[in-house]
Amino acid sequence: MSSAAEGAMTSHELASGGGPVPTGGVGRRVLGNASLVVGVVMTVALVAVAALSLVWTPADPNLAAPADRLLPAGSHGHLLGTDALGRDIASALMVGARTSITVAAGAALLGVVLGTISGLTAAAARPVVSESIMRGVDILLAMPGIVFALVLAATVGAGVGSTIFALTVFFVPSFTRVVRAAALRVLAEDYVTAAELYGRRKVFILARHVLPNIFSVLIVQFTLYFAAGILTEAGLSYLGVGVNRPAVSWGMLLKEAQDTVGVSGPLAIWPGLAIVFAVLGLNMLGDGLRDVLDPRLRKRSS
Amino acid sequence: MTTQTVLDVRGLVVRRDDLKAVRNVDFQIRAGQRVGLVGESGAGKSLTALAVMGLLQPGWTTEGQVLHDNVDLTTISDREFSNRRGRTVSMVFQDPLSALNPTKRVGAQVSWVIRRHTKVTRDEARARVLDLFKQMHLPRPEQLLRAYPHELSGGQRQRVMIAMAIACYPQLIIADEPTTALDVTVQKQVLRLLDGAVKDRGSALLMITHDLPVIAAMCDYVMVMYGGRLVEQGPVGEVFRSPRHPYTKGLLESQPTLDNIELEGTTRLPSIRGSVPPLHAMPTGCPFRTRCDRATAQCEIVPELEGDTSQAACWHPLDAHSPVVGA
Repeated sequence: MSSAAEGAMTSHELASGGGPVPTGGVGRRVLGNASLVVGVVMTVALVAVAALSLVWTPADPNLAAPADRLLPAGSHGHLLGTDALGRDIASALMVGARTSITVAAGAALLGVVLGTISGLTAAAARPVVSESIMRGVDILLAMPGIVFALVLAATVGAGVGSTIFALTVFFVPSFTRVVRAAALRVLAEDYVTAAELYGRRKVFILARHVLPNIFSVLIVQFTLYFAAGILTEAGLSYLGVGVNRPAVSWGMLLKEAQDTVGVSGPLAIWPGLAIVFAVLGLNMLGDGLRDVLDPRLRKRSS
Repeated sequence: MTTQTVLDVRGLVVRRDDLKAVRNVDFQIRAGQRVGLVGESGAGKSLTALAVMGLLQPGWTTEGQVLHDNVDLTTISDREFSNRRGRTVSMVFQDPLSALNPTKRVGAQVSWVIRRHTKVTRDEARARVLDLFKQMHLPRPEQLLRAYPHELSGGQRQRVMIAMAIACYPQLIIADEPTTALDVTVQKQVLRLLDGAVKDRGSALLMITHDLPVIAAMCDYVMVMYGGRLVEQGPVGEVFRSPRHPYTKGLLESQPTLDNIELEGTTRLPSIRGSVPPLHAMPTGCPFRTRCDRATAQCEIVPELEGDTSQAACWHPLDAHSPVVGA
């Protein structure tokens, strides 16, 4: 009883609006969590814009119109103005959202799946296997992700596919660690001993007992790495080893704006704002989900 | 003595490196017998049970033999052991909340156990689980099948665990402090159900607890463990009425009863002086000698279990008729 009251207190304090104290029900816990609500709204908006770009954009983001170059925001037909070659910025940002989501979500999803497999294996396997996996993880984590991606782009070539691959390699080791730690906690529970007692094999125990109990951790980690993926993709494209035209990405737009930033400041601001919006929304979503799904984790981190 | 032996433990040692937590324990359990294993925390009770079940955490090793069905459980493969565990031997855990997976419905969890060891369809297993829940007097058994562990009370959870343990008609059920985590009012009910279930199936029961009245109510034979050794064993009535080992006597006298507490006064409850020494500081010889009033130089040699119907491992056993204060 006292711990439930304590949990309600904490989430009340966290909710910036200071609304009614959430008391138990999932619905009220979700709505009482300002971070989660704002995060969901921002993320849905992002996805909606990306989806819209599939069917409609104000203009072709790759269509140059030298006569209209460097128009300010609010010009007729160009909501956010045009760049140095007269290309529509609003359209480029919409298509860029799609690229960001594809690359970041793809890498985060691959990372979760592969990280879960290796993390569960490391948690349950014999010490030799487990140690090999974890030392491999240490080695991968010792390499800076950006450097790895640069090498990859230089050898394989830049593009959406190789960016996803680079990010995945970057994500899997951290996921492995998180999943292994969570799985070890579950494996120490009595119901796992009970399952062993009743003659269950490791695979069954991992699938039926461990996985459902670490699912909330996986969801939260996915959203947080989704955000990290958007940020890293932007960084890679800015360096020129990520996405290039005719594909469009926010990091690439930043790089292009760099040349004309002295002439037109807003050109660099729009893609920057888009990145901030997406990453902030996903991080708030992740934090909010963590509060709602795994109260224990929140207590430790705050 | 003509009945079949379901468990024969010979010279069991459980150790972690040089630390022996269970030292040379021998005992037999016959079909249908109810044996109680008592002792303080750290006496080695639970490790003995886990060693029998082959469920020790990595790092612990065993020596000696654990014979069940004429097979030495310490030598068979993991695969073979898996097939036996839960079918011929099963276990009720101390904390029913952590022994049930919080993300799965209880009906499904019991049904998994049945389907692991018997070839039945999903529906047949479900019917059996329903039957077990009814036997356990669980309220609204149909709905409870679909309930999650957190929706059940502590007593209900433990009854689910017992249902799971008896599901495959095991020859031996090990109950590791099955009522410790429960309210006193619920304890009695759970014990009665366990008692009935064991009786119906003719299973043997190994009851591990530090709660002496539970042993008195449930068991016909008791083994007292201290410092990893059995210090006294015998029929419950005989051991409890006239304990011969000073430790058993101390344990019985530490049990609060209405007789040894003066309700209006401030008498101290009798206790055994000192505390259980840690494993690395366990004295040589009789493990109890550092806390024993009767200890002499002779106690530096390990005493053997001696006696007829009830046996004590003590060089200076108490007179068979020395009264127990307050018991």
